[in-house]
Amino acid sequence: MTRRLRTWLPVAVVPAVVIVGVLTVPLQAGAAVDLPDKTPAQVLAMIGDSNVTALSGTIEQTSELGLPSLPSTGSGADASASSALELLTGSHTARIYLNGPDNVRVQIMDRLAERDLVRNASDVWMYNSKDNTALHVTLPDTTGMTRPQPDGAQQTPAQLAERMLASIDPSTAVTVGKDTRVAGRTAYELRLTPRTDATLVGEVSIAVDAETGMPLRVEVQARGQSAPAFSLAFSRLSLDAPNADLFDFTPPAGAKVEEKTLPDPSVIHDSAIHDSAMRDKAMTGTKMPATAEEAKKLLEELKAEQPKNGGGMLPGVTVDGTGWASVVELPAGTVTADLLANPLLAQVTESVDGGRLLSTALVNVLVTDDGRVFAGSVPAERLQAAAVGG
Amino acid sequence: MVSELTVLFRRRRTWAMLLALAAVPVLIAVAVRLASSPVAPGRGPPFLDRVTQNGLFVAITAMVVCIPLFLPLTIGVVAGDTIAGEAGLGTLRYLLVAPAGRVRLLIVKYAGAAVFCLAATLTVAVSGAAIGAALFPIGPVTLLSGDMIGVGESVLRSLLIAGYVTISMLGLSAIGLFISTLTEVPVGAMAATIVVSVVAQVLDALPQLDWLHPWLFSHYWLDFADLLRQPLEWTSFGNNALLQGGYLLVFGALAYGRFVTKDILS
Repeated sequence: MTRRLRTWLPVAVVPAVVIVGVLTVPLQAGAAVDLPDKTPAQVLAMIGDSNVTALSGTIEQTSELGLPSLPSTGSGADASASSALELLTGSHTARIYLNGPDNVRVQIMDRLAERDLVRNASDVWMYNSKDNTALHVTLPDTTGMTRPQPDGAQQTPAQLAERMLASIDPSTAVTVGKDTRVAGRTAYELRLTPRTDATLVGEVSIAVDAETGMPLRVEVQARGQSAPAFSLAFSRLSLDAPNADLFDFTPPAGAKVEEKTLPDPSVIHDSAIHDSAMRDKAMTGTKMPATAEEAKKLLEELKAEQPKNGGGMLPGVTVDGTGWASVVELPAGTVTADLLANPLLAQVTESVDGGRLLSTALVNVLVTDDGRVFAGSVPAERLQAAAVGG
Repeated sequence: MVSELTVLFRRRRTWAMLLALAAVPVLIAVAVRLASSPVAPGRGPPFLDRVTQNGLFVAITAMVVCIPLFLPLTIGVVAGDTIAGEAGLGTLRYLLVAPAGRVRLLIVKYAGAAVFCLAATLTVAVSGAAIGAALFPIGPVTLLSGDMIGVGESVLRSLLIAGYVTISMLGLSAIGLFISTLTEVPVGAMAATIVVSVVAQVLDALPQLDWLHPWLFSHYWLDFADLLRQPLEWTSFGNNALLQGGYLLVFGALAYGRFVTKDILS
């Protein structure tokens, strides 16, 4: 009997060792980090101070929005629309390479396929390996153009951070959470918690690299959901300048190439002023690499600014409520009858009292039968009430 | 070891399986060659539309086609046959009479199955490249990232892919070896191994079980495409090797426990 036991011993030990190894390795990676304490303003100022210009890394994006995952149509005219939606749903891995403001390469790695975006000075290439197509955009020469100076240009990032905190304080509590580790780097965690219960957003957390002040992870938690509704994080990051020939793109032989030139910048300049000033303000002068993170921050800034702007953004658009719980109303006729009858819309929305509802973990959109659109990060009942009341 | 390999590769069954694998790229290449209209991008198996431009893609397309079913099928047959086959033929007793030891027999049998994995993937890669070169032009290869590499480097990458796929199959081989020690009916062990591989892939396709996916031995099978990116992406290679190593250890240990304590009657 003991002999039998002895021979079975390694059989039990080996799987046990494997399982223990599997369990402890991630634990070690998430081992407690202790960084010198900082106030939210100091962390924000770190983001402002960050001047990372070169990096190569891998970004993981996951979303649990509760949207049905759309069938990714192989080809066709609606490919661009569905691919934008497709990026919002499900998980993606992308590699990003950056060297200075002019050299960018983003590779979205799909299974057995890849989508590339390469910017080399004024040449922008988009390449899709699935259908072997390339799009070449020549950016207008902006060297002679003076950009509008954002009002914050004279301020230090620290002052700007204080001001920004003060401006969002009525709607949002900003705290510094537990120090974490992202992509092997120690990071501060900035948590933005809405002060109201009326919104679907539970918390937004931004992990800020302790060394460079670069945001490493953005997570949006939805109320009543344990997994983050949206998460964008570096899983690997190196601050060395990537190889220069990565940014040197020539479309492969046999690829379908489409050429596009953007219109002269002076034409679109005026409308862009407000936009760019806004963005500069949101970015507080940073040259942030990951565009999606920029967008996220801009969005938050915009959200915080919304009550101030009132309805002045577009004619006919009204904003009801303040801060996180605000509801945006688009006037009748925004959604045409054709679009309402679109099977795709019918597929992603559900029928509710007074219209059709697109429900996600973070945002609800109500399209009423008369073509008005109500959107907001609020429960569906709130939208319906707004539709009836308005 | 040598005798084990000669027995394995002298079998008519082994040759038939390798021939069948070699026929897959040939079939693809001939079909594409004979088709009147060029393949539209995005239709059919991945990379199929590239075949007409560059014959080297035949091997890669064939690999994509073979991985889900044909390769696991042949490997299931070989790995399932390892111990159960000897038991079924009544030769296992005689093998153990020789002073070789059961552990050694197990290791030799597993090594034989691993060599077959390599032979099978190389068969697909080589016959694909050969038929591609015969029927289509050969030139610089377009990677998934849109960059082009020369023929020399593309051969290197094909070999890397063959290595990746071989490693991918080691976990399944270990499972086959373990199942093979459980029974004396070789066909049962073969079928069970193949069923396991199919079940793993079905589970991998269910989004509701995504917490389980990284632990399935088939999860990284198709990620060999990461070797076709520029710069080379090694993450999945490492993950895959680690995962297969884990399966190898666990099922190797189980097979050892079972085989050493088993009463050999046939």
